[in-house]
Amino acid sequence: MSAAASSTIATKLEVLNRISCAIFGNLYNPQRIRTGNKILRQRLVGPAINSYYPNVRPINLREITNMAPELNLIDQAEKARLDDIAERKKRGKGPPKKGHGRRSTNKKK
Amino acid sequence: MPRARVIRDMKARATVASTEVVRQAFRYLTHNTTLPAKVRAQAQLQLNAFPRDARPTAIHNRCLETGRGRGVLRAFRLCRFQFRLKALEGELPGIKKATW
Repeated sequence: MSAAASSTIATKLEVLNRISCAIFGNLYNPQRIRTGNKILRQRLVGPAINSYYPNVRPINLREITNMAPELNLIDQAEKARLDDIAERKKRGKGPPKKGHGRRSTNKKK
Repeated sequence: MPRARVIRDMKARATVASTEVVRQAFRYLTHNTTLPAKVRAQAQLQLNAFPRDARPTAIHNRCLETGRGRGVLRAFRLCRFQFRLKALEGELPGIKKATW
């Protein structure tokens, strides 16, 4: 086959490609320039990714007490902490008053 | 209460889902070689400005029972040992132990 014949075939194929792109609504891009269209073609994975874990929130006692204060629910851990502080204060182990801490007494010396 | 690593993964998933559309738009700008170089560079900078969790690669599938990050079977979202326990308990429909 001569060079002239092969070149005519190449041009014919190019014409065919252009026409087929026009018919099927594809982008005619003979130089194969990178247009970034593959990014636009990608599917959005966000909803699938976000639904991996079951949507369960841990129960928060404070929310319940805020919603229904008439139930008078007691936070046992908080009550224990406050009781402990009261007990320490009774034994004289509470926080020092302002101006009686370690720092201020050191300065006077 | 889920483990800290699982909470981190949940946070990353929420970030990816919320920023995905805008990120893809910037990714399109950077990948489009017909646009001026300045626009593409600015889009690249915008992409870098997203938090680390906005990238889908920050996400790692974890076991729903234990939070284990390795050996997780995707179809069951369980690590291999939890899968075995549940399969033997009969909690996974259609799964049964093979012998031959």
